[in-house]
Amino acid sequence: MRESEAAVLKKSDVSAFFGSLASDMRLIAPKEAFGGDVIFDAIESPKDIVWDYGHDIYPPKRFLLPHYEEMFRYDCRGRIHIQPAPKPSPQAIIGIRSCDISAIRFQERFFTQPIVDPYYKDRLDATVLFGLVCTKPPRRECFCICCDSGPWLESGFDVQLTDLGDRFLYEVGSDKGAKATEPRAYLLTPARSEDFAERRRLELQADSLFQTTSYIAKAITYISADEVPDEVWEELGSTCFRCGACTNLCPVCTCFTVDDVENTDGTFSRCRSWDSCQFSGFTREASGHNPRSAYGQRVQRRFYHKCSYQYIMRDGRHGCVGCGRCITACLTNLGLPDVVKRIRRAMHAYLEPETKRSEV
Amino acid sequence: MSLAFTTCGFCSAGCGMYVQVEGGRVIGVCGSANHPVSSGRLCIKGWNATPAILGPDRLKKPLVRKGDRLEPVTWEEAISFAASSIRRILDDVGPQGIGVIGSARTTNEECYSLVKFARSVIGTANIDGANRFSDFSLVPGLLATTGVPASQVDINALPRAGSMLIVGANVTEQLPHIGSRIEQAALNGCRIISVDPRVSRLNPHTHMWLHPKPGTDLLWARAMLKVILDSSSYAETAAELGGFQELKSSLGDIEVSQLKYSCWLEPEDLIRATQILADNPPVVVMFGLGVLQQVNSTELVKALADIALLLGGSVMPLRGQNNAQGASDVGLACDYLPGYAHVSDPAARKMWELLWNCKLPAEPGLSAVEMVNACGSGELKGLVVFGENVALSAPNTQVSMDALRKAEFLAVSDMYLTETASLAHVVFPACSFLEKDGTFTSIERRVQRVRKVVEPVGESKPDLEIIADLAKALGSEISREPAKILGEIAANVAWYRGLSLDKVSEPWGVQWKIPEVEPTLVLVADGAYQEKAEYPFLLIASRQVYNQHTGTVSARCPVLLREYPDTYAELNEADAERLGLRPNREIRISSEHGSILRILMLNDGVPQGCIHVPHFFGGDSPNALASYECDPISGVPVYKTCSVKVEAVK
Repeated sequence: MRESEAAVLKKSDVSAFFGSLASDMRLIAPKEAFGGDVIFDAIESPKDIVWDYGHDIYPPKRFLLPHYEEMFRYDCRGRIHIQPAPKPSPQAIIGIRSCDISAIRFQERFFTQPIVDPYYKDRLDATVLFGLVCTKPPRRECFCICCDSGPWLESGFDVQLTDLGDRFLYEVGSDKGAKATEPRAYLLTPARSEDFAERRRLELQADSLFQTTSYIAKAITYISADEVPDEVWEELGSTCFRCGACTNLCPVCTCFTVDDVENTDGTFSRCRSWDSCQFSGFTREASGHNPRSAYGQRVQRRFYHKCSYQYIMRDGRHGCVGCGRCITACLTNLGLPDVVKRIRRAMHAYLEPETKRSEV
Repeated sequence: MSLAFTTCGFCSAGCGMYVQVEGGRVIGVCGSANHPVSSGRLCIKGWNATPAILGPDRLKKPLVRKGDRLEPVTWEEAISFAASSIRRILDDVGPQGIGVIGSARTTNEECYSLVKFARSVIGTANIDGANRFSDFSLVPGLLATTGVPASQVDINALPRAGSMLIVGANVTEQLPHIGSRIEQAALNGCRIISVDPRVSRLNPHTHMWLHPKPGTDLLWARAMLKVILDSSSYAETAAELGGFQELKSSLGDIEVSQLKYSCWLEPEDLIRATQILADNPPVVVMFGLGVLQQVNSTELVKALADIALLLGGSVMPLRGQNNAQGASDVGLACDYLPGYAHVSDPAARKMWELLWNCKLPAEPGLSAVEMVNACGSGELKGLVVFGENVALSAPNTQVSMDALRKAEFLAVSDMYLTETASLAHVVFPACSFLEKDGTFTSIERRVQRVRKVVEPVGESKPDLEIIADLAKALGSEISREPAKILGEIAANVAWYRGLSLDKVSEPWGVQWKIPEVEPTLVLVADGAYQEKAEYPFLLIASRQVYNQHTGTVSARCPVLLREYPDTYAELNEADAERLGLRPNREIRISSEHGSILRILMLNDGVPQGCIHVPHFFGGDSPNALASYECDPISGVPVYKTCSVKVEAVK
């Protein structure tokens, strides 16, 4: 099968299709956890895939940039011996949403250009992304439509699936996707014009169902020009609970810290784990000086990284894919749309001298 | 291994949490999206401190002291050493020579088992929980008033409150999930009245601040009762409550106008705050350790409960440790039996005597604080401690450490070689909550499953098994199965009736129902902290978002540890100037009982005449400054107010 040719996968063939994929690679998919929770995890059988799962709070970015990972092990007793972590084995992430795929493409750029991070690169090379389009926004907090990262993707996926009722529209978007499809292509049938018409209908319908909107463009302008007054950041920072969930769960965020951890056998492991620009220790320098010692400055930092031209130029897009996780995971109201809204309102007050600050 | 579901073991909110362990390390953590408390969120400790539970220096083998050193031994040797030491003390001085201290961090089953072990196997009345160090004053205080020593409000009901009175609680930092609901309430229009000597992080959500002088809360609380009664601001139903007339006539001596001098409050502010509460039902009265660790804390709890009852509202005591509620529910206390019957209650004693086949004295045994003290005086020969770093959580750190050193026999069960464990004669390596089954009871009375998600580290065992092993070595049988023990609790503790491990294993556990008890208004005695002239500053002790308790786990987390390069204390700028103290320099804070060093920071949110000293890792805490002075009713040490002096370190 050639790239960008669309086909149809009947739902009755889904188990056979992904069952045969399981012999080539580990399957990761939305899986039922506890009490109705659905979380991406390794699955035993394609029957475990929860196709109508909505949205997962723990982003699948962790299968490429693990929450905690061992980079290598070393032994300094006697001659120093370094043992690299084993090469990642092939994996397919099935059912990943468009926002998360867009985020992975963002991270790919960060971790491979100009310097290649071998840990990320090796994992990404061994991963096939089977995207699953949201035919309606799975949650109230979703706003991918404002961020050019869903619900349908033009590119970036290896395979993109659209649920058309009794069948999936099956689009291949990369060589990797084509390669994973090839041995099982006999289970696919060519897509007909009705399938595209149905997809188009769903697409138009989905567009009107989004409940969260984020007028991010205006915030980009204010932030890039450094016009947002410090008091606004201070006010935002004063309510932060310092949990770091916004950056942990942001599928775009890439920051990590590195620790050496002693093992029971006397060797050490160099481990890396997700870190957050929202912590004071993240930017504190060895001298004790901290360029971002106040909470407001750290909230500002997060939004500069998401929204300023400086980073948009470097990263190729703004740093938000509209997954809405920073809204649901935040103990207060510092999700991106809320902050954008507060910046817009504050700027409105700021630009009109008659409006008192207290009314903001 | 996949993500496994369990209950978070840090604070008492009781979040549902997934943990993934691989190769003995935590490699993934996230909150449950559907759990009513976590609702997809965790706080900084849930996110970051969980991996530190399986730290590399976890105890892996039992240790026995041989000379100056603790040497690794087999379980058989450790247990038989402990049993023979206990037997020797029993033979020498009898059961009153032994004390047992349990932890509010362990499961309900372990707490209950330990109580049973102490009371029936050893036969001592000296059994107490570590929540004696923190929040136990709410038990006698609420039993006397609302009748139920627990929160009357569910966490998710908080955003629907009309107004809140939050006293002495750094709630956004210590119980972030409750802080989050308070913020939600404020956004919904709830009026928040915060009472704290200093400006805390509740500030952005607070409508009105009252900053009383530390140690004088009883004065303004009684004045608030008087204002409510004099202005007839109470709820209609309140006049029918028992004790209404008595309370009303007992407050005649209060001069509200004097508050300005006695507790630094403007009388008009107190009147306005009272009016806001009365005008905005439903009222929730919350109080934290700032109330519960004060001189006369039980009286203060009664006063605050009276305020809530008069306004037709409810109380929510803010407890710190994850199983503080469960530990006291199942009787981990020297003065109460499981289900809160006082030991002086003959019927309750008879029931438990029959069940446990032992004799229960009608007098309370020694409290946790008294036990530490009694080790020093020689009254107590042996002390058995499960899951609590007593050396640092007890007051008067230096004296307490010396006292523990004097114990003829000290046994400690813990995950790490804590400051207490390093003084012990025998140390049992205990499992964390990730390695065992059982239940925790959260602040909103939610009994939830703790699930084994990883095999025990090294040779460590759940406390339940260690207790059973010790009992066996002493010739008794105690079950090592959580299901059986919960069954025994459910059969005998009214509020847990009908619970079973299967039942609480269903999604989100089971909340025990608040029993229908007739609440009573009670008289509240007057009182205030007595300052000491040669120590001109009043201490304000607080806890910070990144630290938990004595830091046994949180200090092992690099991300949390990184947040505080310096341990600091805060003074008002005017005081610092008066004393010629410069910021970012080291100062010595001393009381009659000890001294600590801190880096000085200036903060005008701290009132003049006070110094704010947060708890930091590894026992660098204001506990070192506290005396053995305790609230006379509950026996909770007075950590929160203390006269100190401040000087520059040359």
